[in-house]
Amino acid sequence: MSTTMAPVKARRSTTEKDKATPAWQKRLTSDRAARVAALLSFFVFWVLMSALFARVPGPVEVVQRLADEFSRGEVFGNFGLTLYRFGVGVALAAVVGIAIGVIMGLSQLGRAFFESPVLVALSIPAIIWSFLTVMWFGFGDLSPIITTFLTSVPFVIVNVAQGVRGVSRDLRDMSTTYKVPLSRRIKDLVLPAVTGYVAAGIRFAIIIGWNGVLLAEWFGGGGGVGYRARWWYDANRFGGFAAWVVLFVGFIVLLDRFVLDRAIRRAFRWRDASA
Amino acid sequence: MAVLTIKNLAKTFNVGTPKASRVLDDISFDVRGGTFVSIVGPSGCGKSTLLNIISGVEEHTSGDISLTSDAGGPARMGYVFQDPRLLPWRSVMKNMMYVQDDRSEATVSRAKKYLDMVGLAKNADFFPGQLSGGMQQRVGIARAFAVEPDLLLMDEPFSHLDAITARGLRAQLQDIWAQSKKTVVFVTHDVVEAVELSDRIIVLQPGGRIYEDITIDLPRPRRQTDPTVATLQAEVLGRLETMKAMSRTASAVA
Ligand SMILES: Nc1ncnc2c1ncn2[C@@H]1O[C@H](COP(=O)(O)OP(=O)(O)OP(=O)(O)O)[C@@H](O)[C@H]1O
Ligand SMILES: [Mg+2]
Repeated sequence: MSTTMAPVKARRSTTEKDKATPAWQKRLTSDRAARVAALLSFFVFWVLMSALFARVPGPVEVVQRLADEFSRGEVFGNFGLTLYRFGVGVALAAVVGIAIGVIMGLSQLGRAFFESPVLVALSIPAIIWSFLTVMWFGFGDLSPIITTFLTSVPFVIVNVAQGVRGVSRDLRDMSTTYKVPLSRRIKDLVLPAVTGYVAAGIRFAIIIGWNGVLLAEWFGGGGGVGYRARWWYDANRFGGFAAWVVLFVGFIVLLDRFVLDRAIRRAFRWRDASA
Repeated sequence: MAVLTIKNLAKTFNVGTPKASRVLDDISFDVRGGTFVSIVGPSGCGKSTLLNIISGVEEHTSGDISLTSDAGGPARMGYVFQDPRLLPWRSVMKNMMYVQDDRSEATVSRAKKYLDMVGLAKNADFFPGQLSGGMQQRVGIARAFAVEPDLLLMDEPFSHLDAITARGLRAQLQDIWAQSKKTVVFVTHDVVEAVELSDRIIVLQPGGRIYEDITIDLPRPRRQTDPTVATLQAEVLGRLETMKAMSRTASAVA
């Protein structure tokens, strides 16, 4: 007599699993669902906190304050001012950071020269830079710009240097034996090897630099998002303060998600393809 | 005509430091166009160093080395490394084109032809990470042939592969070589492989000197199953064993 034995615990193939999983379950376990869940839980937490503590403004109040700021015409001017300072600072950090990073990556001497200053700069928090720059440059545009630059440039440098050092010796030797011209070597070997690091460095720079610009404005008093947030804070009106916080945190999250994250994904397409 | 001429070549690493070590010592030989020359020898005797000097990646300490192309201009070189050495962020086809002089249609179709010869025509748009190790190594081989080199250097190209894949690629290499008649310098520590592929075997001994220069005069294609091939393989292997035994005695005396 022949019996058909079922395997004790067969592992299922991806095709089988895919077929067995209902669509709603796939959607519920997607990355996007996780992100939405994070947002929702934060929101619930916020509502709870505002219900429990009188000094924590709730979402409704914050939206109202925000609308008030808009109708007062405070938003665009201040936001524009901050963006301008921030943009100049980050752009400076990108240019200087890539240059120093490449030098540190290629030359032993360059590395020896820049290593300690970069490490020191890396360890100084934005708040210290903002005190110093306000002391040095006063209340104009210069202190937030320089603060942004100083807080973010070490991150660009470290990332780029690491990327350049990582350009494989083997691939460089290969290019040498085949006498590949320098322009093509830069385009097809060095840049692809480094772009991911440059993108990651600039992403850090943007997130860290944002701290810098807001802090410098907070202490500097020359207008801008940080200045306006402090104005409400000093007036003991936490709704207004929170409105600005929501505005700039929202901005940085959107910038990161829709611009930076995508750029980085593009740079690392080849790696995802081989995973 | 000799494509490659090497005269009294020596290489010392870390010259003038306490770590100085002489890896190649008084190497002289030349390679005529269209021949397949193998360099065999125990691990660490300087085979890769020699190839790197020929390819220009490494500088030699003393002696002369000259390369000529049939056309008279600078010699074109192909190099198949121990590992594939492909750009991970470029497709297979773009990797093939990376080492080419121009982007002309003739060049593109030549690259395609060699990809086809190693059986990877269908994978032209894959990234290297999407290929198996053996397939990547085949791309490296196709890339080297596709530059139509005056001199093709190969450094243990099959040593990272399993025996069956390696045997298949060796047969493929014999075929491609028979069609293209390139000048090849092939490094291996596998005597069996060397006898199967070469017109001539140069045996390096520890300390980086030439121990023996053996001509292999067997008809092609050579098959593992052919008894004359097997006999010669055994003989060369025997001579290599003698060399090893001698160098052991020598170092014991010293
Ligand atoms: N850059 C270097 N600096 C110092 N010594 C080196 C360097 N490269 C190689 N050597 C030394 O030269 C010797 C020969 O190395 P090589 O790689 O040429 O050996 P090989 O014959 O190819 O060995 P294998 O069969 O194991 O690949 C070794 O002793 C190695 O330590
Ligand atoms: Mg070697």
